[in-house]
Amino acid sequence: MIKHYDLIVVGAGPAGLSAAIKAANCGMHVIVFDENQRPGGQLFKQIHKFFGSKEHKAKIRGIRIGEELLAEAEKAGVEVSLNSIVLGLYNLKGVSVMRNNQVEHFRGENVIIATGASENVVPFEGWTTPGVIGAGAAQTMMNLHGVMPGKRILMVGTGNVGLVVSFQLLQAGCEVAAVIDAAPRVGGYGVHAAKVARTGVPFYLSHTVVKAEGGDHVTGVTIAEVDSHFKPIPGTEKHFDVDTVCMAVGLSPMSQLTRMAGCKMIDNGGAVPEKNEYGETSIPGVFVAGDVAGIEEASSAMITGRIAALGAAGRSGFISDAEFTKQYEACVNSLNQLRQGMFCKANKGRTDILTTDEGYPLSMSLLTKGYMTEEELAKFTNLNAHQTGVHPVIECTQNIPCNPCQEACKFGCISVGTNITNLPGVVAESKCTGCGMCVANCPGQAIFLVNEDTGDGFATITLPYEFLPTPQAGEKGTALNRSGAAVCEAEVVSVRTNKSFDHTMLLTIKVPKAYAAEARFYKPEKEGK
Amino acid sequence: MRIEQHPILDTFEKGRQVRFTYDGRELTGYEGEPIAEALHAAGVMVHRYTTKKHEPRGMFCAIGRCTDCVMIVNGKSNIRTCITPLEEGMVVETQYGNSSREDAQK
Amino acid sequence: MKDYLDRTFDLGPYVPEEDDDLIICRCEEITKGEIRQAVHEGMFTMTEVKRYLRTGMGLCQGQTCGRLVKNIVQNELNKKISAEAENTARAPMRPIPMDVYGKEAE
Repeated sequence: MIKHYDLIVVGAGPAGLSAAIKAANCGMHVIVFDENQRPGGQLFKQIHKFFGSKEHKAKIRGIRIGEELLAEAEKAGVEVSLNSIVLGLYNLKGVSVMRNNQVEHFRGENVIIATGASENVVPFEGWTTPGVIGAGAAQTMMNLHGVMPGKRILMVGTGNVGLVVSFQLLQAGCEVAAVIDAAPRVGGYGVHAAKVARTGVPFYLSHTVVKAEGGDHVTGVTIAEVDSHFKPIPGTEKHFDVDTVCMAVGLSPMSQLTRMAGCKMIDNGGAVPEKNEYGETSIPGVFVAGDVAGIEEASSAMITGRIAALGAAGRSGFISDAEFTKQYEACVNSLNQLRQGMFCKANKGRTDILTTDEGYPLSMSLLTKGYMTEEELAKFTNLNAHQTGVHPVIECTQNIPCNPCQEACKFGCISVGTNITNLPGVVAESKCTGCGMCVANCPGQAIFLVNEDTGDGFATITLPYEFLPTPQAGEKGTALNRSGAAVCEAEVVSVRTNKSFDHTMLLTIKVPKAYAAEARFYKPEKEGK
Repeated sequence: MRIEQHPILDTFEKGRQVRFTYDGRELTGYEGEPIAEALHAAGVMVHRYTTKKHEPRGMFCAIGRCTDCVMIVNGKSNIRTCITPLEEGMVVETQYGNSSREDAQK
Repeated sequence: MKDYLDRTFDLGPYVPEEDDDLIICRCEEITKGEIRQAVHEGMFTMTEVKRYLRTGMGLCQGQTCGRLVKNIVQNELNKKISAEAENTARAPMRPIPMDVYGKEAE
């Protein structure tokens, strides 16, 4: 027996769920199949706060967005079938599914393939040794199952995944020996790199793995600098004692179902089906959404999911032309806001960008070592108004679509403007109350509240802190600078927590005032967990 | 090693503690969690040895795609332990090629 | 761009490289050198390399090695394989036990 639906969605990640919710709200009879035990795709592994603007769910952790999506899906009456493996997509939009130890057949008036992407791999000597894992595997282990991937890890890849997972490894209590990349520049956001670098993790750009050592499991790794052909340069080898090597070297769309059905394919970072502006492939009624259509972000996936659902609803008469146009244009506007700035697809791989849109010189140190120098930062006169008393210092120096800082400040101290890719600016005439909302809300953890001179030879810095053990007021530790080097003694003045900060602590430390511009991280005296 | 306390994640939802065997050794894990996670928490890194070169393999992708984590579970070979939920009394064995050691030696 | 079915395309002699013994297809334990040699022996398409060596025919069905094999074959042929020239995608998309495959639901 073949069961019929108005829409079959394959994949219950952000794209698939968003599509199903939109379709159900248009009155379509929808079912979502997902091979996993839990829905949400990669969302429940993303414990960091997202970028973008309010409509893109900025400053909200991926896990909470996942929970919201699930609740919305339930409310919309979407049927989500888990542990359901789609075995094949046939060219009359038939789908065969393995669930409950049997094979069932379905046919959709429309099908949206939202199967996401799989991780790329980079082979090197010893890469099959247990202990060499994908970055996604590290996330799965620590964020879903509460198991440490290893004690000491080398991260390969400085795209956003490599940087974000490195930080998450530190949060899970692991040590990160180094982050390396064969490319000459850090591929992900500078703020993600800075979060990792200030804890003391070294970056080695233009380096590749030569060999992972160990018999039954990894015991060490050797890296070397590469030349312009990405070949290791003899004599530049460096060795690290690690038990885990983590690969974050890109993603490829998992488009096999569309190939099987006979969609016309093109190359877009992997084989993807050729599609129109609604995500419809060369087979009428077969759509793609999310990473399977081209690697982007979860925020974009949610929007392309909605667009595909609108396409399906329009095709099958579930939405009026007028309503379709209105909703479609809103989605496109939202999507275009994300597809701007130096990290957008159009600019991917470019090494010739030297200034921000505003004309400030990009920090080369940030791009090659993961942290900015004070001299480079000083050129961004918009980021620190040097007011007396407590005032915000924003170390955000690249054009990325993001503006929660502007929304966070109720006193108008921070301005981004209508184009969310603009660099933030501190409004000099504003009066900072030191509430710390900007510090807690910045997804890049790039905002600090600084009082450069408290009048007693000291300065205070309030920084975002997401590690254990929770520091205690009065305890003494060390202040680290942007590169993670110890610069001076630091005393904890206060630790503020608030439900609205969602686990980001506001840690205020007191340091000798000479270090007000340098101290940007805190290390407790005793190495605890 | 299991994460006791996490700065962002308040709890890891786990089922009840159950006992299972790994190559004859008794281990404990949580009901419903992937077998591979319970093994990893117990320090087990090698899941199988390959057919041709007899080389050790363990968890690689952790989401059921790469098939490097397969082991013999309750007598069945090629079970992807990273996505198979742990049950009380499960018998988990290192896989040699496609079978258990005894078969490989015959 | 040459037609990729041009069998008279001269590859030149096989030049061994330092990393020829690097494992590329993890499931079937096939090395880079074996893949490069297969191209020199006349396997000019992904499908031919697959049938000759079994790259992509193991448990993971090319999920891990697919992109790597394609790059190696492209490099050896010194041209670009189009998206159409990937290995054919067929059901079942994931491993499925025979007794389940035959169990059609009511």
